[in-house]
Amino acid sequence: MSLSRRDLLKGAAAAGAAVALARPAEAREKVAPSPDAVGMLFDSTLCVGCRACQTACKESNKLPADAVEANGGVYDAPADLNSTTKNVIKSLPTDAGGQVFVKQQCMHCVDPSCVSACMLGALHKEGEGKRKIDGEKKGSGIVLWDKWTCVGCRYCQIACAFNVPKFEWYAAFPAIVKCELCRHRADPAKEGALAVANPACVEVCPRAAVIYGRRAELLAEAKRRLAAQPERYAPGVYGEREGGGTQVLYLAAAGVTFEAMGFPALGEGSAARFSESVSHAPYVHGVTPVALYAAMAFVVHRNKRKEEVAAAHGEEETR
Amino acid sequence: MSAHVQPRAIGGKLLDRPMLVLLGLFGVAALFMAWRFVFGIGTVSNMTDGFTWGIWEPVNVVVFTGIGAGAFGVGLLCYLLNRGEYHPLVRPAVLVGAISYTLGGSSIVIALGRYWNAVLLPVVPWWNLASVLLEVAVCVMSYIFVLWVEVLPAVFDGAAESAKPRWAAFGRRWGAALARKMPYVIALAILLPTMHQSSLGGLMLLAVTKVHPLWHTPLLPLLFLVSCLSMGYGAVVVLVSILKLGWNARHDQRLFARMSQVNAGLLVAYLAIRLGDIALHGKLRYLGPNWPTFFFAVELALFAVPAVMFYLPRVQANRGRLFGAALLAVWAGAVYRVNAYMTMYRPAGWRADGTPVPAGWNYFPSLGETTITVGMAAVGVAVFILVSRLFPVVVVEDGRTHTAAGAKSAAAS
Repeated sequence: MSLSRRDLLKGAAAAGAAVALARPAEAREKVAPSPDAVGMLFDSTLCVGCRACQTACKESNKLPADAVEANGGVYDAPADLNSTTKNVIKSLPTDAGGQVFVKQQCMHCVDPSCVSACMLGALHKEGEGKRKIDGEKKGSGIVLWDKWTCVGCRYCQIACAFNVPKFEWYAAFPAIVKCELCRHRADPAKEGALAVANPACVEVCPRAAVIYGRRAELLAEAKRRLAAQPERYAPGVYGEREGGGTQVLYLAAAGVTFEAMGFPALGEGSAARFSESVSHAPYVHGVTPVALYAAMAFVVHRNKRKEEVAAAHGEEETR
Repeated sequence: MSAHVQPRAIGGKLLDRPMLVLLGLFGVAALFMAWRFVFGIGTVSNMTDGFTWGIWEPVNVVVFTGIGAGAFGVGLLCYLLNRGEYHPLVRPAVLVGAISYTLGGSSIVIALGRYWNAVLLPVVPWWNLASVLLEVAVCVMSYIFVLWVEVLPAVFDGAAESAKPRWAAFGRRWGAALARKMPYVIALAILLPTMHQSSLGGLMLLAVTKVHPLWHTPLLPLLFLVSCLSMGYGAVVVLVSILKLGWNARHDQRLFARMSQVNAGLLVAYLAIRLGDIALHGKLRYLGPNWPTFFFAVELALFAVPAVMFYLPRVQANRGRLFGAALLAVWAGAVYRVNAYMTMYRPAGWRADGTPVPAGWNYFPSLGETTITVGMAAVGVAVFILVSRLFPVVVVEDGRTHTAAGAKSAAAS
């Protein structure tokens, strides 16, 4: 019996070795931002917390108010992103006794976890889904949701480090709700790559605290602001590299960390690349399962024949 | 097969009191399920956008299929390593596997928000091969089918023993035909769980910031593969021990002691991989006076104690003690899996001191959620009893106490 135990352990060790060895060999390629990728830049030093963007977002996405009753009045005051709120402004106290504001919506990651997670490509980058969808063109990098292929498994909610995708918990036929950069408001008058979308939040912002543009240009603008007024900002642009990069970028006020603004501390690599590299490593492009199956079918077949021969002999002897 | 002890249909009354209790539990669960389909998942569960899978995924899918992995484990020993002495365990283990995987699959349908779109899963061109969940879904669906095919020999054998000649001829003919093709089915029944059990661990790889570092590791797939086998072997011993009490099933203590030593090897392998991961990946700094460390210690103890017990002669020789050790091995895997999926999962992640980053969500399973989980388990037990009564699945110790006559007529009717 020690034989089979050893075999099992050997098998486990071999599997472990295969995982360890194959990983660097098969690591999934890094995803670079598309040259036409569009996004937004939010500058927390400019936001005054008027929440005009929240209302504009609800209006243009036909979402109901998140009605909160207080002090005898009713307020559209969502506590967080939720199934009726794709965009939210949160207030954070500062050490100086004031407050800074942070805008939350989908980050439109360069290499999104939700897209990696999604079984049939319901969450997909525009024009890169599994199902052909009319009117979608590759390149914008906008993460869109397709109601025809979503099964509502909610793995996207597990996968998203920013907790962006929301689920309609109180609907018999629920949907996944998240910002799609107002692609439905696309403005053909906008120049070049920018014509694919037209975020309502940007349009309504009275202080241009959030601006819309090509990711490359937004990143350059963010760096220009950082260089021009280093005393005004916390160092770095959140989203430049975090989690493989995002298409919505953030500048924080001096003295405020991105962590305090509610952003997860992410490494430079994307979770999607990590997960896919580890998961696909033992498969070696699909060779392993086929080879394993063939080998096991052979062994099981041979064992069965041996047993049948032995059984036949046994019967002859007893006769 | 002729050299092995033959399994036998248990027979007896189908709707006895325990059966009615089990069906009653499922009935209550069915009411909650119906409610969920009309008014939404949020009305029966405490699931939120932060804790989106609640207990259904971690328990109904990840733990149930772990228990069902006994079919995989016994198949490995019996067919791949050609240990014929394990043959009497194959049918009960396969039936438990078929039932628990079917329950896992059905639980998913209840948990899916947009379940009607699940009919699109077989559309291969739409498959996102990067999705670990797709791999799990496709693999588990195929494996459920394979497991029920593996249950068929018992059904055909039952038919072959029937008093009705046509029914008997049907059973003999198809039983023989299936037996010839069986090696190709068995090979699939070993490949598929190897793939999806590791992928069940792989599912949490994406949740880099959310699963506590003591649990989040690139070795998750390997740990899930090892833990499904340790749970599966434990579950087989637990199952047959219970069947021994209820139906006087044949209980080969020496065989179980040997199989449990295999299990001890797996438990030790798990401990080595887990501790190696913590030490080599510099995670020792997360250990301290906090909850994650406590759960980590509980897990290690749950794996270590049965590993030691399986080697002790006084455990090997005693049915009750071996049962206890095997039950601990099942609990070990179950606790590990629930921790990795739920207990040690926080939507905004963890601080270095082992406290979760507050994110506005809390979770504890609701009555409705729990009832559905319990009801699913109950209907699983009910189906096992039903099939074992009607068809030759369980090897019974003494043929005189349980004649097959009643079963034959039951099967024929």
